[in-house]
Amino acid sequence: MIASVFAWMRRVTFLCLCCVFSSPAGAVGTAVGTVIENTAVVSYDLAGAPVTIQSNTTTLAVAERINLTVTLQSPQTPVAPDDTGRALLFTVTNTGNGTETVQLAIDSVIAGDDFDPTPAVPGIYFDTDGSGDFNTGDQPYTPGTNDPDLLADESISVFLVNDIPTGLANGLTGRSELTATSATGTGAPGTVFANQGDGGVNAVIGLTGGEAQVTGEYLISDVLVSVVKSQLIIDPFGGSEPVPGATLTYTIVVNINSPGTAAGSVVRDAIPAFSSYVPDSITLNGTAISDSADTDEGEFDTSGVPSVVVRLGDLTQALSPQTIVFQVVID
Amino acid sequence: MKVFMSVILIGFAAIAGAQEQGHLDVRTTVQKQEVFVNEVGESETRLVPAEVVVPGETVFYTITFSNVGAEAADNVVITNPIAEDLMYVDGSAFGPGMEILFSVDGGATFAAAGELTIVEDGEVRNAEAGDFTHVRWVMQNDLAVGAQGTARFAAVLE
Repeated sequence: MIASVFAWMRRVTFLCLCCVFSSPAGAVGTAVGTVIENTAVVSYDLAGAPVTIQSNTTTLAVAERINLTVTLQSPQTPVAPDDTGRALLFTVTNTGNGTETVQLAIDSVIAGDDFDPTPAVPGIYFDTDGSGDFNTGDQPYTPGTNDPDLLADESISVFLVNDIPTGLANGLTGRSELTATSATGTGAPGTVFANQGDGGVNAVIGLTGGEAQVTGEYLISDVLVSVVKSQLIIDPFGGSEPVPGATLTYTIVVNINSPGTAAGSVVRDAIPAFSSYVPDSITLNGTAISDSADTDEGEFDTSGVPSVVVRLGDLTQALSPQTIVFQVVID
Repeated sequence: MKVFMSVILIGFAAIAGAQEQGHLDVRTTVQKQEVFVNEVGESETRLVPAEVVVPGETVFYTITFSNVGAEAADNVVITNPIAEDLMYVDGSAFGPGMEILFSVDGGATFAAAGELTIVEDGEVRNAEAGDFTHVRWVMQNDLAVGAQGTARFAAVLE
């Protein structure tokens, strides 16, 4: 009874929204358990006298529609042979109109790739801290124990975690698949599970069949990166002694020494103790980079340990070398 | 007290009796499509009574009315609200011998589908099927004694 009152209140809210924005229905559809009544009104004149009557009232009950979608959030993920615990991020969304318990499964033996990743044990984790990165705070999924309950339109982020076999050449791909299944059941769209929806109404399988699968992909990209840092000291007396007031010019050279791509490469170099960064002294390949965090490739970051940060992007052998220069003064 | 009660009861009975003489009998049904396999193994659709629906399903409302009285009825107008959770299916309203009008303001005013506008964010735009709040059928002729008519529309559960 409370549920149905709530459903009516929701509908009233919708009505108000419609008045203002004329917006269509919500993303997931009318709430399970909603009752839709219909009565026609007929007016007419009888010998000049107006009469108004009502028809009978028809009643429709809204059943639970079971629908799940899975979307891959990770792009093709570069890995190296013998890597362990490499994660792919997925989002599972309940696109039905009721609450649904979801079962998850990993399969890393997928046709169409070059190698089979080895599922970690356990192989499925929740993104418990919501970071989007797989880390130690994320809780493992245990089938039948912590199957997530998703409200209508609710999503959950899930990692598939695999180890990468040894001895794989650059450029090979391996796939891993997440399957999300409705605990109520699966079947052809329209299949009815009597009285198994929220509140004991019927549950009906929607267009996704109560099950959704999406595959993510690893790419062997065993890139050899070298970073060489050198320094040049000019002291206030024309010499090269590291004394207070001396200027140190640091040069960092980054090289890719193999095929493959070092995706999203970032160089972060902390300013040494007892020295101060020289403002506006950063250059990348001879071009100045401003100290502020803006649209260029780097900045002088003072949010933590003062550091020079330069984003080199997706680096390859062809783009090497990348040369970063900046200066500090000894205090 | 007893006397008072019985007077009221008689009063109701009199009103009911008056309505039954010379008025319309109006019935509404709601149906949905069901796919079935016919005798020669082909898939066909048929309309079956709708009691339970899921979002995305289409339902068909049919209003039948007949003049069961002793006098012709003039100016017969049938008005049916479109529930909040239903969206009218464009072009689905149907009624032989009847003009079909719609409302976008909760039944306060009615006009033909192409003549309705909505003010949204200060700008006027043509109303769409999803904006309709009511369907109205206006009979062009009197409904003679014994005559009957049908009005129908379809809507999708949002």
